[in-house]
Amino acid sequence: MAQKTPEIYSVELSGTEDVGKTDTGDGKEKYRGLKDKRLELKKNHQKEELKKEVDLEDHKLSIKELERKYGTNIVTGLSSTQAAELLARNGPNALTPPKETPEIVKFLKQMVGGFSILLWIGAILCWIAYGIQYFNDKSSSLDSVYLGCVLALVVILTGIFAYYQEAKSTNIMASFSKMIPQQALVIRDSEKKTIPADIRLLSTQGCKVDNSSLTGESEPQSRSCEFTHDNPLETKNIGFYSTTCLEGTATGMVINTGDRTIIGQIASLASGVGHEKTPIAIEIEHFVHIVAGVAVSIGILFFIIAVSMKYYVLDSIIFLIGIIVANVPEGLLATVTVTLSLTAKRMAKKNCLVKNLEAVETLGSTSIICSDKTGTLTQNRMTVAHLWFDNQIFVADTSEDHSNQVFDQSSGTWASLSKIITLCNRAEFRPGQESVPIMKKVVVGDASETALLKFSEVILGDVMEIRKRNRKVAEIPFNSTNKFQLSIHETDDPSDKRFLMVMKGAPERVLEKCSTIMVNGQEQPLDDSTAEAFHTAYMELGGLGERVLGFCHLYLPADKFPETYSFDVDTVNFPTSNLCFVGLLSMIDPPRSTVPDAVTKCRSAGIKVIMVTGDHPITAKAIAKSVGIISANSETVEDIAKRLNIPVEQVSKRDAKAAVVTGMELKDMSPEQLDELLTDYSEIVFARTSPQQKLIIVEGCQRQDAVVAVTGDGVNDSPALKKADIGIAMGIAGSDAAKNAADMVLLDDNFASIVTGVEEGRLIFDNLKKTIAYTLTKNIAELCPFLIYIIAGLPLPIGTITILFIDLGTDIIPSIALAYEKAESDIMNRKPRHKKKDRLVNAPLAIYSYLHIGLMQALGAFVVYFTVYAQEGFRPSALINLRVEWEKDSVNDLEDSYGQEWTQYQRKYLEWTGYTAFFVGIMIQQIADLIIRKTRRNSIFQQGLFRNKVIWVGIASQIIIALILSYGLGSVSALNFTMLRPQYWFVAVPHAILIWVYDEVRKLFIRLYPGSWWDKNMYY
Amino acid sequence: MRRQLRSRRAPAFPYGYRYRLDDQDEVNQNYLADEEEEAEEEARVMVVHDLEEEEEEEEKEEEEKEEEEGQGQPTSNALWQKLQTVNEYLWDPEKRMSLARTGQSWSLILVIYFFFYASLAAVITLCMYTLFLTISPYMPTFTERVKPPGVMIRPFAHSLNFNFNVSEPDTWQHYVISLNGFLQGYNDSLQEEMNVDCPPGQYFIQDGNEDEDKKACQFKRSFLKNCSGLEDPTFGYSTGQPCILLKMNRIVGFRPELGDPVKVSCKVQRGDENDIRSINYYPESASFDLRYYPYYGKLTHVNYTSPLVAMHFTDVVKNQAVPVQCQLKGKGIINDVINDRFVGRVIFTLNIET
Repeated sequence: MAQKTPEIYSVELSGTEDVGKTDTGDGKEKYRGLKDKRLELKKNHQKEELKKEVDLEDHKLSIKELERKYGTNIVTGLSSTQAAELLARNGPNALTPPKETPEIVKFLKQMVGGFSILLWIGAILCWIAYGIQYFNDKSSSLDSVYLGCVLALVVILTGIFAYYQEAKSTNIMASFSKMIPQQALVIRDSEKKTIPADIRLLSTQGCKVDNSSLTGESEPQSRSCEFTHDNPLETKNIGFYSTTCLEGTATGMVINTGDRTIIGQIASLASGVGHEKTPIAIEIEHFVHIVAGVAVSIGILFFIIAVSMKYYVLDSIIFLIGIIVANVPEGLLATVTVTLSLTAKRMAKKNCLVKNLEAVETLGSTSIICSDKTGTLTQNRMTVAHLWFDNQIFVADTSEDHSNQVFDQSSGTWASLSKIITLCNRAEFRPGQESVPIMKKVVVGDASETALLKFSEVILGDVMEIRKRNRKVAEIPFNSTNKFQLSIHETDDPSDKRFLMVMKGAPERVLEKCSTIMVNGQEQPLDDSTAEAFHTAYMELGGLGERVLGFCHLYLPADKFPETYSFDVDTVNFPTSNLCFVGLLSMIDPPRSTVPDAVTKCRSAGIKVIMVTGDHPITAKAIAKSVGIISANSETVEDIAKRLNIPVEQVSKRDAKAAVVTGMELKDMSPEQLDELLTDYSEIVFARTSPQQKLIIVEGCQRQDAVVAVTGDGVNDSPALKKADIGIAMGIAGSDAAKNAADMVLLDDNFASIVTGVEEGRLIFDNLKKTIAYTLTKNIAELCPFLIYIIAGLPLPIGTITILFIDLGTDIIPSIALAYEKAESDIMNRKPRHKKKDRLVNAPLAIYSYLHIGLMQALGAFVVYFTVYAQEGFRPSALINLRVEWEKDSVNDLEDSYGQEWTQYQRKYLEWTGYTAFFVGIMIQQIADLIIRKTRRNSIFQQGLFRNKVIWVGIASQIIIALILSYGLGSVSALNFTMLRPQYWFVAVPHAILIWVYDEVRKLFIRLYPGSWWDKNMYY
Repeated sequence: MRRQLRSRRAPAFPYGYRYRLDDQDEVNQNYLADEEEEAEEEARVMVVHDLEEEEEEEEKEEEEKEEEEGQGQPTSNALWQKLQTVNEYLWDPEKRMSLARTGQSWSLILVIYFFFYASLAAVITLCMYTLFLTISPYMPTFTERVKPPGVMIRPFAHSLNFNFNVSEPDTWQHYVISLNGFLQGYNDSLQEEMNVDCPPGQYFIQDGNEDEDKKACQFKRSFLKNCSGLEDPTFGYSTGQPCILLKMNRIVGFRPELGDPVKVSCKVQRGDENDIRSINYYPESASFDLRYYPYYGKLTHVNYTSPLVAMHFTDVVKNQAVPVQCQLKGKGIINDVINDRFVGRVIFTLNIET
């Protein structure tokens, strides 16, 4: 602020002249524009700068100082030249939209990510090998060129596929945001008005603003010219950009525009926060590293072995390529993408819209949820929660439809109270909503009056009709000095000519005006004991964080106030004291009915739910208690102090499980203290927090190695949403900024949907494990042929192209099918996985897949291979070290075990038959592999062999693709498939059964001896 | 060199070790020590040259070591720690664990894997055993892949191009040696001793058990007449009239159509038909007699001698490459497979220089 130059501009703007602003309704506001010209902060300082609290001092300055500071005059404004100059310098009054990654960059990332690099290396090696070959012998075959092209094609195709999947899910989001009309427009058309920039208010008249988009507070706040608070967000003389003015008028001076407004700062804070890698991305990277490491090390090892076995370097390079191709699960990353998008679709059906595919799993590994209060945990509307009359507190139904009001309605006091509630209320339903349920009807009026109107409508029926029957003759509206609202009505009883005066307002003010109190329909003098009862009730309701209103009435004597009496509200020619106190009524923004259950589920799933809100600590705590974030039997330090009647300092912190921390306390905490707080207490509520503090809290949680989910709806939440491992925005109540920053949008604003999301996320993690285990297994079966080929010199059992047909052909649909697998046990009863300990691909998984099932598969496939060769004439013993002669083009009379002589092409054809046989062998055993991968612990029979139908689709697809390849495309020599004799399809079946039996035994031992050596080493 | 070393060495000591001492003193001491060393070294250099090289190598090693240590410095502490963790992972002396397992755990794993792989080996042995049970050692289960028969010629050395100069024996001598070697098994004496003379024009069918040894028909070298190498030990190569022997690939159980033995016919593959002018075939029928079929496999039909047809190119065009295609003709013979240029035919070029 000190850097500000004295050049200022001022524009005379009236509402109608403002861009896109229509001046309708009573929320009219005039302001004089004037621009602040804070120098742009240097980029490197920006983030630091932003982390600090909102830095604004203008509210502390007097008007004269302001004028001096901005070099303007509050009456005339800036000259137009100054204005233009400043506009040019500071840009128009708009927020800079967040930067998008260019599509081409996204595409290229897909091309080089994951295994693509390895495959590119393979392709390039192919071309190099051909280059060398061509250099030596001009007529050398183009095989390696083709292979290189195929590899490149595979990379490009999988890249395009992954890119397409990503783009598709992004498009879902884009179409979604189009679907929901811009909230601001709606408000403009009604009687509300968006404030166009940060303004310092100069004069106000009953002005109330709704700061919910900024602070998350749903209550309207009055605005005045006085400086009331150090914190610019709390002070009353500042109006903020994008907040709405609900009623009254105000004139102000623009102090910040566009990105420099508070909201703009928050928005840029959000875009400045780097997006962390999602846990699943880390896991996949880890997995890619493992597989690539295995591939490269085996490749190089065998390259060295091959070279030292006197193979040509060129041949060794070809081997290297084969090993790489065999080791890399080419189709897996595409499969993972599909799997994630399938889950994303499933979640979208359950009202969780996932913007970023990887976020699907993140929710599953979430260990802390930082939830906003308003709108997420609560219904975001004031609702009558308690009533007090006849010296008794009654509970009102606060569920979403109010249907179940059980309190005693027979008392005469209730009749009076209900009349006051109905009559002393200015709120009205908008016309034309007859068919809409009461709770969904749009009401014109403030939140409390709306609550009362709906409450009475539900219980009494047509309120408008009742009001018509009790015609209103005079009214004093609520204002902040009176703190009460009063109206005088004719009664609906034709025999009763008296006027009824009804009043509601701040309970203590109302009580002051009363001399009697109604108990059981009878007026009684207001004595000390009843006053005491009143105070107890008032404190109790206030302690619940509820807003309490008092109600009283008075029948004006007919002799003094005849029917023709003219009431004058300015002179107050009627009594306003010695009234009869009827009751109290308290309101709260109640929790959504599904939330407590959802919180309990989160608890049992080992997820810590933390409430972070901009609201008052008392309200926050009350809501936290009612939804179970603070459980019924846990206490805060303050509670214990109060119960034991000792000072707060003397309470041992260990006794308290819960903590309520305000923003002011948080401000003074060091990161270490925050860490301590987060670890020491299991139930935490943060109240009165600023957007920056939300960010600090999220970072604090992330320091504990937790995966943090943040829910929120306001602009103020967006930095935290972005910083969180997964940001969850509200679809209905959420602001666009929040939705943009979030990874996931809850379409129904229902916290319970998060639980569904967690469940899906955990399931997908488990299922991805299965998919990866399934896919990795056959890598060994694909790799062994190359190793045996190099070491023992057998004719090559399986070709590179054939391997690609397994990886990208037969195995694709089955591995996706595993994503449809149901959970093995109650996944919501276990702890969230530890980010660093519970890996997607762990040692048991890799070892079991590679060294157990993989090897068995390799053996099975070799049996098929040997069978084919032996039946055609080459017995296994003849095959050893046959490679050199076998591959010589010039040898056309190679002798087999029976003395028969084979031409080169006949051998080649036999080799392809071998490929096909090996392929079929792997395929058949992959069916068994698929079935065993359905479960990791349970027996297949416990899981149900036929529950997941998609698995069978997968198996069918495997068989059909293999049949097509062998019998359909067997004549296409480039594909290296031949028509295999039918009996060879069954050679591997016993091995498949063996695999299944072995895995059942493994699972049986795991179930029988949990925690044993076997369990630790064999459970993946 | 030395000075560089010193400057590197100074920060190379782990901090907290020497840095706590008086730095300046330490450096000075080092410096002095180095000076002395240097002087000594120079003296030695004068005497033994080799030693200096050794010294330099040592120095390099020293340098490397120091650089490594240098990486342990605070600047790259992370790497150092990582190395330590890896080291600890490999062998943790405290818990006596290697790769995060105790010795007991390791031995358990070894035992289990031993049994696992042993049983896998047993399984595969069983499979192989069953496989062998189902396969006859005398007759291959299927012969479709190796049918129809391929064709090969002799002499053969890597290439099917016969390039030689009549006047330079070195260019054709290896053909002669190759043919001579090949025909050793066809020597009349050997054939008469080992094999039977069976009647021509009909199959030599030997009924009886599969595992009974089968007799083989004689194919004497002398059948090849001018190409037998008996009359002309150079097989015509010295006169520019090369002999080339053609043999049909053996296939167990293969029988040409009865009464219609497989014939051989050669012609110019591309170009002027008359480039060959005349070919003499031996045996004159240019066919493989039926008595050499069927073949009973190498286990029982031990002395089986593949019949041959010799082509004597007596008047081929000289000083020019002549592509020749020799085809088998007969019922059940295929000689026009596009992919396989050795099934039922063989293509070679003759380029005889004079």
